[in-house]
Amino acid sequence: MTLHAAAKPLRSFGDFFAMCLDTFVLMFRPPWAWREFLLQTWFVARVALFPTVMLAIPFTVLATFTVNILLVEIGAADFSGTGAALGAVTQIGPVVTVLVIAGAGATAMCADLGARTIREELDALRVLGINPIQALVVPRVLAATLVSFLLASMVTIVGIVGGFLFSVFYQHVTPGAFAAGLTLLVKTPQVIVCLLKAVIFGLAAGLIACFKGISVGGGPQGVGNAVNETVVFTFVALLVINVIATAVAVQATQ
Amino acid sequence: MTTATAAPSRLHPRARRVVGIAVHTWNQVGQQAKFYALTVRSIPDAVIHHRVEVVRLFAQMGLGVGALAVIGGTIVIVGFLTLSTGSLLAVQAYSQLQQIGVDALAGFTSAYLNVRLIAPLTAGVGLAATIGAGATAQLGAMRISEEIDALEVMGIRTVAFLASSRVLAGVLVVIPLYCVAVLMAFLATRFGTTFVYGQSTGVYDHYFNTFLNPVDLIWSFLQALSMAIVVMLVHTYYGFTATGGPAGVGEAVGRAVRTSLIAAVLVTVFVSLAIYGQSGNLNLAG
Repeated sequence: MTLHAAAKPLRSFGDFFAMCLDTFVLMFRPPWAWREFLLQTWFVARVALFPTVMLAIPFTVLATFTVNILLVEIGAADFSGTGAALGAVTQIGPVVTVLVIAGAGATAMCADLGARTIREELDALRVLGINPIQALVVPRVLAATLVSFLLASMVTIVGIVGGFLFSVFYQHVTPGAFAAGLTLLVKTPQVIVCLLKAVIFGLAAGLIACFKGISVGGGPQGVGNAVNETVVFTFVALLVINVIATAVAVQATQ
Repeated sequence: MTTATAAPSRLHPRARRVVGIAVHTWNQVGQQAKFYALTVRSIPDAVIHHRVEVVRLFAQMGLGVGALAVIGGTIVIVGFLTLSTGSLLAVQAYSQLQQIGVDALAGFTSAYLNVRLIAPLTAGVGLAATIGAGATAQLGAMRISEEIDALEVMGIRTVAFLASSRVLAGVLVVIPLYCVAVLMAFLATRFGTTFVYGQSTGVYDHYFNTFLNPVDLIWSFLQALSMAIVVMLVHTYYGFTATGGPAGVGEAVGRAVRTSLIAAVLVTVFVSLAIYGQSGNLNLAG
């Protein structure tokens, strides 16, 4: 009995990887759920757009503010553009995107799938000969990936523009120097890495949300707990992936 | 449906709808503000009448429930989050500093950026995800199974019993939580810089100890506390007003996480602008 209880987290870990494998295999196998994919993409984009902008602005303002204090102190305020671009492209862009995708999109996905699971709709699909992974999970995971890819570029733009406005109008940095410093440390490889990171994060968030959604148990309270766990696990996974991806990217782009 | 078709159509339906939505949103903001005021006002009530409940929630928030307790609870999760952002700082800052030849200052970036930027933001995100979302899920489940209504029928002040006690427990739990979080961030940056990238520990410790400002640490603590208050208020509101069955609870958790993230980060921005001001209160010369 104790052995059984101890093996439980391990077993759900294994279940998660089994579902990921299923998803990746079924991604390339017809029939492809186009309609569901478009609906989910639109849904995730709609719920995530406004919070993304709202979260990107304070994040960059805070980062620019803190870095600029340092730069002004050592007499290098002209390089504030470099700091803003570095922060926005390498870290804030992908991280803010996935915070919103996880907080807004993944929670809603998990709640939706969880409610279907406890109403036994997924079992009904299986009885009808439809694989729920193919019909529901694959389009959701791909939707989260696509939207996160698209949003990352927007967050980066909002971040740099926000940093520009804040540096120029609040901390009195010369606008020309700011613009000139933007591309000092951040070049095409960094931008590509930023977008790649966003894709990986979106994929991870979608997979975790769908796994938690289809493995809900324990009635209405279970759905709430599953959503809570989705948020926690996505954030943890995001930060771990971010450390590894950053370490690899720093080595690769140097 | 019949009443809708039977009533004569009104002038300017589209304008009416837009105005209706705007008024509804505005009213909701007012209702939220009222709920927050009531929650804060009821905190003394919670202290006097529901002390046991506050202690119980405090323990529960620290350790987590369900699958989260298995992996070590809130403290471990938030500590882990700052651990990874701290090592992120080591990876990113060390390589950038190396490019301009001042990699000796890695200890300084840890003492400066971890305290002012990374630890508070990461802790805020962690708080919203763990204790915040947990509170919304719990309260939402109580609301849809009509437990909250039952409490009201029994004559218990539900806001004090459920919301204020959670806000209070959240603020209390942040104190040990944030200590762990900051320590983890420091340790991770030190480990990454000295052990992985091979800087000598003496150089790192020298610059770290020189530039670590104890007053900044206290302000950073204040940031974490204010974020905890905002996060818990937002999350209890969304849990308290959840509707629409199990899926509704899930959606309420999502809405709450999104709102509280934005609110917490905004609060951090304003608090740091208020604390450090335009000049930044930084004295690099020593």
